[in-house]
Amino acid sequence: MITDLLMALLDSPVMSAAIPPTLAIAIVTATISVMVLAHRLSFLTVGVSHSTLAGLGMAVLLGLPLLPAATLFAIAIALFLGMMPERRGIHEDASTGILFAGSMALGIILLPLAGTRQVDLFGLLFGDILTIGPAERSWLWGLGLLILIMAFLSFRSWWSLAFDPISAAAGGMPASALRLLLYGTIGLTTILCVKLAGIVLTAGFMILPASCAWFWCRSLLRLWLISTATAILGAMLGLVLSYACDWPTGPAIVLVLSGTFILSWGLAWLKQRVRRVN
Amino acid sequence: MSCVVSIHNLRYGGSVPVLDGITLRLDAGHFMGIVGPNGAGKSTLLHLLVGLIQPDHGHIDLFGQCLKRFNRRKLLRHVGFLPQLPTQQPHLPVRVRDVVAMGMIDYGNPFVPAGSFDHSVSSVLKMMGIRSLGHEDYRRLSGGQRQRVRIARALVRKPKLLLLDEPSAALDNQAQERLYRLLRQLCDEWGMSIIMVDHDIAAVSSHVDSVACLNRRIHYHARRGESIPDDVWKLMYGEHVHFMAHDATCIGCSQDAR
Repeated sequence: MITDLLMALLDSPVMSAAIPPTLAIAIVTATISVMVLAHRLSFLTVGVSHSTLAGLGMAVLLGLPLLPAATLFAIAIALFLGMMPERRGIHEDASTGILFAGSMALGIILLPLAGTRQVDLFGLLFGDILTIGPAERSWLWGLGLLILIMAFLSFRSWWSLAFDPISAAAGGMPASALRLLLYGTIGLTTILCVKLAGIVLTAGFMILPASCAWFWCRSLLRLWLISTATAILGAMLGLVLSYACDWPTGPAIVLVLSGTFILSWGLAWLKQRVRRVN
Repeated sequence: MSCVVSIHNLRYGGSVPVLDGITLRLDAGHFMGIVGPNGAGKSTLLHLLVGLIQPDHGHIDLFGQCLKRFNRRKLLRHVGFLPQLPTQQPHLPVRVRDVVAMGMIDYGNPFVPAGSFDHSVSSVLKMMGIRSLGHEDYRRLSGGQRQRVRIARALVRKPKLLLLDEPSAALDNQAQERLYRLLRQLCDEWGMSIIMVDHDIAAVSSHVDSVACLNRRIHYHARRGESIPDDVWKLMYGEHVHFMAHDATCIGCSQDAR
């Protein structure tokens, strides 16, 4: 039955066109999700993605191209959150909460002011990969490649920094610069994801793949491989579900990934119980 | 003998300095212990030595180069640093071998394959007596085992200078003694220079070449065979301190205690 659905999915021009960008987004977000979890930045990810609403609102109001404007805004927000705790002594979760609420409020006020300009609010909030245009497609490919290059160059350093920031910095690693680079990359990844999952569900893509893999790994490489495999399978299954049940694509994928997480967590718990009994 | 660390008139902490007027020198192959009460500035001094924080006044030279002016990354390649044992539980899924290999990472050269660290990692794990733990999950280790892994990480690059902040924390007496003996061996055989901050004055003093008594400033710097006057201890800890002698060459203990 799944094979039939997959064949039908591939036959549909709209759905088959959505497969490559969806898979690319899945691979990139899975890669970054490893660092989001390692650095405990889940709430920051939620904050940055929701703050993007203000960037999109401003872009709509000023008639700017949505994705480039939102990209700059997300990077600015992420870097600001990265610098704020160091400079002002405010804890990161508080500063994220403040920016999250403020930017959402600004976005909600700005978007209706756009008036007659056509704004697909549902698409912004929950994503719509099926309506992706050629310009957006090129932008996303470029962004995805840039994120993967940055991740490839910094992955080991970010991991080491997450494990023991003091030892890493004492070894000559530019800890603050690497941290800001990670925050900027998270900002970029958020934008990459907005077209697929929307502002509301983007965080799911950036937290769930690594969360599913977390219980089954003892090395960075394995964690990345399992996260990526989970994200690819989740994305494909989500697309199939979306096609079969006529569900929006982003929520369908997030639902599949959430289910995978519950399954993974349950199996890990069961494994631990069995080990204790033996 | 070549100078590895030279600290001159160091001051840190703003209007109420944590460290003031610190002047110290460490030669190659020398093992120095730093003792002092809580809040004396011992860890701060080590953080200054690896450039994690910048002094308000004075300067630090490592291997004859100014830490502030010279390429910090190049200088610190020859320094191993063990910070205090963190109170937070580790949360990353990572093997012991990978933790030790983190000590080899050069962020400026991300293309070095992880496998090229294998030989160095294996030999340092063997040296620390934890070879069998190589493939274990770091999160499952006891506090003492974790501390030994962290020391292995600080040693994996075979640094010329080793800075240890309370390395004996979480170690049992036997492991402590083994560690101190290993550090002594590293100084004598490899010519490594070591600065070790520790609270166990008696244990430290029986293994090191000199002891610096620190409480905001260096109150006394005793060489092996030299005893530290009672009034220095009183000045540091605010009350009379009595030490039991370990052996004939033990430094730090007053003549009366011997």
